[in-house]
Amino acid sequence: MNDRNHRDLYICRCEEVTLGEIDDAIAAGASTVQEVRRRTRAGMGLCQGRTCGRIVAQIISRRTGRPMEEITPAACRPPVRTVTLGEMGGDEP
Amino acid sequence: MPHTADVVIIGGGVIGSSIAYALAVRRIPVLLLEKRGICSATSCSCEGFVFLQSKKPGVHLRMALESARRFKSLEDELETGIEYVNCGGMVAIESREEFEAMSVFAEQQLNIGLDVRLLDGQSARTIEPELSERIAGATYSPQDSQVNPMLLTYAFIDKARKLGAQVCTETAVTAIGVQNGAVESVITSRGVIQTRVVINAAGPFAPEIGRMAGLAIPITPRRGQLIVTEAAPPLLKSVILSAAYIAAKFNPDCARWAGEGISVEQTASGNLVIGSTREFVGYDTAVTAQGIKAVSRRIVSLIPRLAGLNIIRTFAGLRPYTPDGLPILGAVEGVEGFIMAAGHEGDGIALSPVTGDLIAQLVDKGRTDISLDDFGLERFNA
Repeated sequence: MNDRNHRDLYICRCEEVTLGEIDDAIAAGASTVQEVRRRTRAGMGLCQGRTCGRIVAQIISRRTGRPMEEITPAACRPPVRTVTLGEMGGDEP
Repeated sequence: MPHTADVVIIGGGVIGSSIAYALAVRRIPVLLLEKRGICSATSCSCEGFVFLQSKKPGVHLRMALESARRFKSLEDELETGIEYVNCGGMVAIESREEFEAMSVFAEQQLNIGLDVRLLDGQSARTIEPELSERIAGATYSPQDSQVNPMLLTYAFIDKARKLGAQVCTETAVTAIGVQNGAVESVITSRGVIQTRVVINAAGPFAPEIGRMAGLAIPITPRRGQLIVTEAAPPLLKSVILSAAYIAAKFNPDCARWAGEGISVEQTASGNLVIGSTREFVGYDTAVTAQGIKAVSRRIVSLIPRLAGLNIIRTFAGLRPYTPDGLPILGAVEGVEGFIMAAGHEGDGIALSPVTGDLIAQLVDKGRTDISLDDFGLERFNA
């Protein structure tokens, strides 16, 4: 991950976001996982960043020199598991 | 952080970022202060509608038409993709009462120059085949569009920076220095900035900034809970609102009988963004089971085919609501150098290009191409 030549490496597999795109977002000023997400879509896919969230935080930490504890993680929002609109909007039993 | 600035903008949402860009284009030195990160509150918790049909016939719609015109060249201007698509927009009508109300509304809009058509249910389903059979009709405008609100905000701020604007994030404004009725400084968590012009673009937080200058600003946070679904193949051509949305927006009393309305768009990535509730619950941005269930129920009733789509995320944002549904823009009487640019409620994305331009004109020349008379803070004093 330290190798800046690996720009094509996929970090977010759901949305196919590469290390290069994440580096560009950080260079443009993104300093939290949430901001990287908004600029690149990393973490906006089916798994909602459960896989890549921590990796993105590590990339931010390494690029900015700030410790991991200081990197704000992305907000977790419902649902924990996907649920269909029909199930959610159905009448109460 | 600089100690002086010609102009200080408070708020790094779409409105503040658009103003920063418009000032930077005019080579006016500007400093934008944001208490969190760029695009971290209202502008990242909304849909990307550039919807003209939901604007009040009059100067509100005129402003939106100008904004829509500006959107067409914005990607070239900002030199980056913002997922702007002129996809057309539809207002789905569910009852005879709504049909009558919307035909009057559309007629007034037509007179101001909006290309809007009244359709029966069958014609509406020709454009949007997935609409429920029980939809009685629709209004449709080919001028309505959509954009990615986050990419839009970042595009404004990135270009503003390239043109020389300074941006300080994680910088909270704690006080505004006013001397002899004029702004002279902004006090922040990271130091004092001498300035004669402050632009309050803090959206739902604008009242807090106003109080620092002794001003009462009638903006209230209005929560909207939204749903994001998994990406799907193309299902919708246009961005869609239910007529109840327009009723709820301009007349809260209507919401009692018409419900809160629903809006849906399919984004460039294929995900559907569906909104939303309209709740007065202070600054609470939590989602509730009740709210998400209500939005789900309404969308499935409008477009039954969506029932099988998976929800992958829910979230809530705060719209800056004003009592008359119009934003508060322009200079403020009694505090020289204090300019308002907030209170767009659900129209901030759509009106951001024109708002940036008008506020920059005001700072630059002291007058604007479109009159801001109807948008002054003073209208609430009567």
